[in-house]
Amino acid sequence: MQKLMLTVDKISTFVGKVFSWLIVSLTFLITYEVFTRYALDAPHAWAFDMMLQMYGTLFMMAGAYTLSKNGMVRGDVLYSFLPQRVQAFFDLTLYILFFLPGVMALCWAGYRYAGESWAIWEHSGITAEGPPIYPFKTIIPIAGVFIFVQGIVEILRCIRCLKDGKWPSRVEDVEEVDVEKLKATVHVTDEDIAKLDEFVAPKEGGER
Amino acid sequence: MRKEAWFGFSFMAIVVILVFWMLPAPSQMTNGHLGLLMLAMIVIAIMLGFPTAFTLMGMGTTFSFLYYYSTNPATALGHTLDLLVQRAFAVMNNDVLISIPLFVFMGYLVERANLIGRLFKSLHLATSRIPGSLAVATLITCAIFATATGIIGACVTLMGLLAFPAMLKAGYSIRLSAGVVTAGGTLGILIPPSVLLILYGATAGVSVVQLYAGAFLPGLMLTGLYLGYVMIAAKLQPKIAPPLSEEEQRVELPKFAEVITKTSRNNVVVGLIGAIKGKRNADVPMKTLVNHLIIAILPLVAVVLLVVPIYYLMTFPVAVETEGVQEMGIAAEEERSATDVQELTAAEEGGLQEPEEAGEAKEPQAEAGEQATVAAAPAAESAKAPPAVAKPTPAAAATAEVKPERTPAPLSYWITLGVLVVGLAAFYVIFTFERLEVFKMLLGSFFPLALIILGVLGTIIMGLATPTEAAAMGSFGGFVLAAAYKQLNFQVVKESVFLTAKTSAMVCWLFVGSSTFAAAFALLGGQEVVNKFVLSLDMTPTQFMLMAQVIIFLLGWPLEWTEIIVIFMPIFIPLLPHFNISPLFFGLLVALNLQTAFLSPPVAMAAFYLKGVAPPHVSLNQIFIGMLPFMTIQCLAILLLYLFPEIGLWIPSLVYK
Repeated sequence: MQKLMLTVDKISTFVGKVFSWLIVSLTFLITYEVFTRYALDAPHAWAFDMMLQMYGTLFMMAGAYTLSKNGMVRGDVLYSFLPQRVQAFFDLTLYILFFLPGVMALCWAGYRYAGESWAIWEHSGITAEGPPIYPFKTIIPIAGVFIFVQGIVEILRCIRCLKDGKWPSRVEDVEEVDVEKLKATVHVTDEDIAKLDEFVAPKEGGER
Repeated sequence: MRKEAWFGFSFMAIVVILVFWMLPAPSQMTNGHLGLLMLAMIVIAIMLGFPTAFTLMGMGTTFSFLYYYSTNPATALGHTLDLLVQRAFAVMNNDVLISIPLFVFMGYLVERANLIGRLFKSLHLATSRIPGSLAVATLITCAIFATATGIIGACVTLMGLLAFPAMLKAGYSIRLSAGVVTAGGTLGILIPPSVLLILYGATAGVSVVQLYAGAFLPGLMLTGLYLGYVMIAAKLQPKIAPPLSEEEQRVELPKFAEVITKTSRNNVVVGLIGAIKGKRNADVPMKTLVNHLIIAILPLVAVVLLVVPIYYLMTFPVAVETEGVQEMGIAAEEERSATDVQELTAAEEGGLQEPEEAGEAKEPQAEAGEQATVAAAPAAESAKAPPAVAKPTPAAAATAEVKPERTPAPLSYWITLGVLVVGLAAFYVIFTFERLEVFKMLLGSFFPLALIILGVLGTIIMGLATPTEAAAMGSFGGFVLAAAYKQLNFQVVKESVFLTAKTSAMVCWLFVGSSTFAAAFALLGGQEVVNKFVLSLDMTPTQFMLMAQVIIFLLGWPLEWTEIIVIFMPIFIPLLPHFNISPLFFGLLVALNLQTAFLSPPVAMAAFYLKGVAPPHVSLNQIFIGMLPFMTIQCLAILLLYLFPEIGLWIPSLVYK
């Protein structure tokens, strides 16, 4: 079971990471476009569509990756103080109540939507003679399916946690605020912090 | 169960009770009430800690299905699916949200360039004689760094590792030190380029450009209030922020500078030129001397580079049509040239202040601050004056007709120029070798960041680039910055890329969810029920504004700012026209308000980040108490902005007529 969960995690992560490189191409595409427009006075009509498609693909395909790393924003005012079993219970209920219908609807709707687009070989209408848009619309059901599979794994995790009383492990990933790493970048060690206590302790005694 | 959990549960209970109080008996329930029920359910579901994006999406889908089913069961499913997918696709095609990943990416790259240590050290030396200097340096560092990166957690953590120990060692009180680090670290929420404003712009349909232009001054004002508070507190109570010892104020001089100061004057320009001319008296390679001389004249070069092109732009001949002689024509011309002048003064002010201020920040006496304000004040005043000054211009040009002549520069230009020249002269008189060292350090840390921020903001506000383009250029600048500081390697880029993907996915999926939810809410007529209810209260605009801000403030406790913006703003925005409040102004107040949420116990994120790296004897309570004065200042800032809306609306009104 744990193996299956970690495998799905890995697939989601791999897909998300591959698509997250779009941000680099997006940066360079726009920088290049700005350069050609202002310096060479030769804008490209397709650039705008291209930008939007890159951005849309980027965040849609990174959804499952984010979910697998528990990176979706949650209100933790209450959650983080609950015992893990209770957390799992609430999560499980809400996954079934909200996640499954919502994401299943998204997959299905996306499938129909993309199908209609393929049927007429739809092109973007934002600019004249825009680029084809049916591959972009196909992203919706694909991203939906990835999220759906990842959600099933999350449900399994909840069940597992209800049984064991603690959350099963996840694969580590880069964190926005990685305290250890930040400590290393500014060359501060735990001993340094502990040593600081001598400046703090006397104040509590009211000496200063 | 901890007491925090009980706090959360009681909050939920209040929501449930409120809902039961407002809702009629089930037999009289209309679709609108169903909408309200949905709103209450979402608050509860979010507080239970389920990923908000999916709560919103699932609930929106379910409720819109219920609505369609109540009208026509046969087509209900199809309509629901269409609604959902169209909402999702609209987010994928949203040309406002596209700048979010770009700004986030820029933030991560700039953060990894690892400038914060240098920035803090150089600012700390530059401000060393100001009362509460370490606290002042911390605040400025935070303001710059948090603004450029927009990552609150990292900023508070890093400053907790760097500045917090430095302040404790210097004998600062724990409370003040903690307050400064947490308050400073959260400044990045408000000061553009901030993601919060993009999200608000996308939700409320307000131009991000105007929001950025508007939020700039309130952000500066808040920083200024913080700085003022710290300096006054340090002056009144030297015990909580003792001045630095001579030892800590000393700047290490490089060898050649010591030689020169011994043999010649301490003034940089005099000393260096003397050393270059007097060849043998200084035992220093010529190259070092020339290099330093070049660095020393940089402020002068910067001023010249700014002043001269602006003079040419300003006096650029106005193209005149012959019919321009009529009254109307003249008035129009006048209007136009007045705008031009104002825009330029605004640009000039923003641009010039930076080198000036930085140059003078080195001069530690309080007069530095005065100088800067003096420089800004006439510019601000004269920006109002130009219509009078510029009056003769179009008339003269109109009579000249054939030969377009250069229009004379307005008085404000010469006043600004005069102030600049005096400032520069004063700067060079007190420009000693110690100050040159500090200046070099600032050049390596403060200016690159300030340049990126001002470059991104400037191009957006002046309308030279769209926010998307500016964000992309900013990310590119982040690459260059990281490379310039030799921090650019595959590992850094990789991590930034992955973090960007996760953050953007989080925000944008949340947006997919919330726009589905908002659609369902509107379908059910929940909006109308809310509108009717609020209008039936018969409030004055002031009361409404107060109520809205209090609600947002309260929501800031259990919810994250992203959730508040995407879920609750769509409910408030349609009410604004009834009360004659501009969504732009409302957005600025909301941004300021939500920033307070980061500092309000017991859920203040900033406090927990600081606690994570503080010495074990610093208690969470001490941090909370330290944050209180800053929270009070924030409330004061909200009040000021409310009483004087010009603080926020002045720049947008200058740039967009």
